[in-house]
Amino acid sequence: MEEEKKRQRGVRLCCLCNEQRASLKRPKTLEHICRDCFYRVFEDEIHDVILSNNLFSPGDRVAIGASGGKDSTVLAYVLSKLNKTHNYGLDLFLLSVDEGITGYRDDSLLTVHRNQIQYGLPLKVISYEELYGWTMDNIVKMIGLKNNCTFCGVFRRQALDRGAALLKVDKVVTGHNADDIAETVLLNILRGDIARLSRCTSIITGEDSPIPRCKPFKYTYEKEIVMYAYFKKLDYFSTECIYSPNAYRGFAREFIKDLERIRPRAILDIIQSGENFRISATTKMPEQGTCERCGYISSQKWCKACVLLDGLNRGLPKLGIGRSRGSIDGCKDRNEKNGGKSIESKQCGTLDF
Amino acid sequence: MACNGDGCQSTCYKDEQPCSKPTESPNPSNNICIKCKLNDAVSGYGGVDDGRFCADCFRSNLFGKFRLAVTSNAMITPTDKVLVAFSGGPSSRVALQFVHDMQERAQKNFDASRDRSLPVFGVGVVFIDESAILSIPSGEMEEAVEVISSVVSSLAPPTKELHIVPIENVYSSDSSDGKEKLIKLVGSVSDPTGREDMLLYLRMLALQKVASEFGYNRLVLGSCVSRIASHVISATVKGQGYSLPADIQYVDARWEIPIVLPLRDCFAQEINMFCHLDGLKTFRLSTGPCSTINSLVSSFVALLQEENPSRESTIVRTAGKLIPFQFNRIPEIVDGKVPLATRRRQKRYNLKPNDSVSSESFCLLCNSPLDKSEIVDASNADNSRSSDIFYSACCSSCHFQILPSDSISMEQFYMDLPQSVLSRAKQANNGNLSLLR
Amino acid sequence: MAEIFMFLYSGGLELLCDSKKIHNVNVEQQNGEDKLIMKDLLSWVRTNLIKERPEMFMKGDTVRPGVLVLVNDCDWELSGQLSTTLEDKDVVVFISTLHGG
Repeated sequence: MEEEKKRQRGVRLCCLCNEQRASLKRPKTLEHICRDCFYRVFEDEIHDVILSNNLFSPGDRVAIGASGGKDSTVLAYVLSKLNKTHNYGLDLFLLSVDEGITGYRDDSLLTVHRNQIQYGLPLKVISYEELYGWTMDNIVKMIGLKNNCTFCGVFRRQALDRGAALLKVDKVVTGHNADDIAETVLLNILRGDIARLSRCTSIITGEDSPIPRCKPFKYTYEKEIVMYAYFKKLDYFSTECIYSPNAYRGFAREFIKDLERIRPRAILDIIQSGENFRISATTKMPEQGTCERCGYISSQKWCKACVLLDGLNRGLPKLGIGRSRGSIDGCKDRNEKNGGKSIESKQCGTLDF
Repeated sequence: MACNGDGCQSTCYKDEQPCSKPTESPNPSNNICIKCKLNDAVSGYGGVDDGRFCADCFRSNLFGKFRLAVTSNAMITPTDKVLVAFSGGPSSRVALQFVHDMQERAQKNFDASRDRSLPVFGVGVVFIDESAILSIPSGEMEEAVEVISSVVSSLAPPTKELHIVPIENVYSSDSSDGKEKLIKLVGSVSDPTGREDMLLYLRMLALQKVASEFGYNRLVLGSCVSRIASHVISATVKGQGYSLPADIQYVDARWEIPIVLPLRDCFAQEINMFCHLDGLKTFRLSTGPCSTINSLVSSFVALLQEENPSRESTIVRTAGKLIPFQFNRIPEIVDGKVPLATRRRQKRYNLKPNDSVSSESFCLLCNSPLDKSEIVDASNADNSRSSDIFYSACCSSCHFQILPSDSISMEQFYMDLPQSVLSRAKQANNGNLSLLR
Repeated sequence: MAEIFMFLYSGGLELLCDSKKIHNVNVEQQNGEDKLIMKDLLSWVRTNLIKERPEMFMKGDTVRPGVLVLVNDCDWELSGQLSTTLEDKDVVVFISTLHGG
């Protein structure tokens, strides 16, 4: 009866197995496929990306940057599954950063705690409070809602590295997906950041820093990640950050989604363009040294986190805001123009590239 | 792909107003021109300088940008004969005006000089009539042609030859079914963006053909910052990151007749302002609405520009840091008749060869340089059909958005291509074979 | 008239609709057509359900790009998007991808 009802409505069979009812249209190939075939090709493709890019070596200790959101939840699920089925021989960990945002991060951390049990992965939570002596709640109390994303972004990047060092891992993996990377390519063009433009499509970044970061979802569409999480009923957290309620209204992200609607392949094409850009080797890359104060990698005397922290501790939180490029530009754009709409979607949502 | 000015429907702002009204600056301390400190400043031309110059200083500034681009890149030298592609839109109208102004000055200098050693460069104007493939309301094209003729004939001497050429002219004059083939060819492209881009390539072929037939040695396009910024984004979106730098330089000599972009540093708003101040007549043919990658990109860039008036120039500046190609300069002049000063100047401004990418292979359809992964070895393709060989020598972007994917439709597509494309393909093939031997 | 179960997943979509994630709605066909389609449901949602910022959910007469739609757990891109036919007791799920993760 149920079966007949669906047939009548003209939904086709899966073009891979030709047996089950198709459940989604793949943006990458436009194929109509059923759930089971979808799970298989989704996982196989990520496996291929891992192999062909030599992301891991047997025995690696790998931290999964886990926010509790869809991307990192699917990443933790798929990676632990692939590790088992393909015998990668990886020691996987969940690594979460607690920014100290009541009503947002505390809730999403509960999700990560559940994931720890669901996937059997050890979890390390590292908090802004223990690292810096400040929670985001306290920072916002002091500086208000302007520029708070700058603090959060700078602190998170460093926190993740410090957490990874504590776990003594060889690699950190993050859930950046194809849509994120395509957006970053565009943003770097829009901002004139040629140095970041040349780096942002690498699947492994920060090889110069103590712990490299990889993006196994580099070629994975956001749509497929969301569908995977939905069909598998994975337990993820999906509320906006209370301090950046409109962060997802970025122009660039909307543009990517508009493009995807008329040409799904555009997302991969943007990444391909990013990989093929010919950038002169003489393009100035910032010289990396170490922060005199905390020892973290920095191109300046003090790292950005120490500058910001120093400002906070001296009661002069404006110190270090707006002098450099990148995410700070983004926040400036967002807060100063158009009352809340920026070119960028995730000043704070995920980790910096 | 560079194209002739704002008349192309694909990458233009949909609601571009050809005339922005100059407005008096509300702040009295600001309304004196900062340059001449005499006249009232005008505003409405956008950018960081908006409202700082009077009309005269604004004009000479804009012309200055044009002239700097021309002289620094040796775009036009006294012995040249340049063809200005005029679409009727503001950008190509201003390009025509500036080329004309420059020619007029050269003529004055020539008349005044005693030895008359420096000749005056020649100027021609071309308009491509695309009514064969675009649905343009009846009567509009006739009107357009009238406007163009009156614009060109009203320019002061030296006289400029005007070529009004139908797009089907890309087919050799002896084949009577050119128009038919053209309609079939364009109609066989199913992707709307691909169709638009195909039209751009055909238009370029038509321009090149006119330039070549009438002995021009430069083709001037009116591409401005805004147009180039949109091209940067849309090429990125189409996966053309490798070939992108080829299209956005001052000079593009991969074509038989080198293309030059003297308005590369001028903004659309400035150009519109200039047309308004000088009462330059422009028009836009109405073509149906289109939902393509190109139009999506244009509205995106327009939105960003609104949010931040320096966005377009930032985009162009970023893309300008990508390494250009060998052909992005005027080829060295070996001709002894050309004055030494010209040659020397050209040398000085030209790119150093090691800063640029040399590329030998080009997409047979869109002529974009091919990236290593796109170059296929044709040596074992001896017994395949020529249409298949053609297909394999095109770029991945053309594969996706223009070329038919099945072999039979591809053969038909190949048969309908203009002769000039086919002969380029043959040349390329011979080149490959001789390299192999 | 058909009763449709609507689920609003993630990304703050529910905040636009009375902060409720699950809605049981009764929608009527438009213009005397005998079939109810997704287009009717969306225009009904727009007039009756969305309390604020409709542009967060809709763009033109369809959902905003980046909002995934499933009808009876099947991607609506397979069933004809706006022209997908709806029947009594059908389940329509909206998932927004436009948020951090």
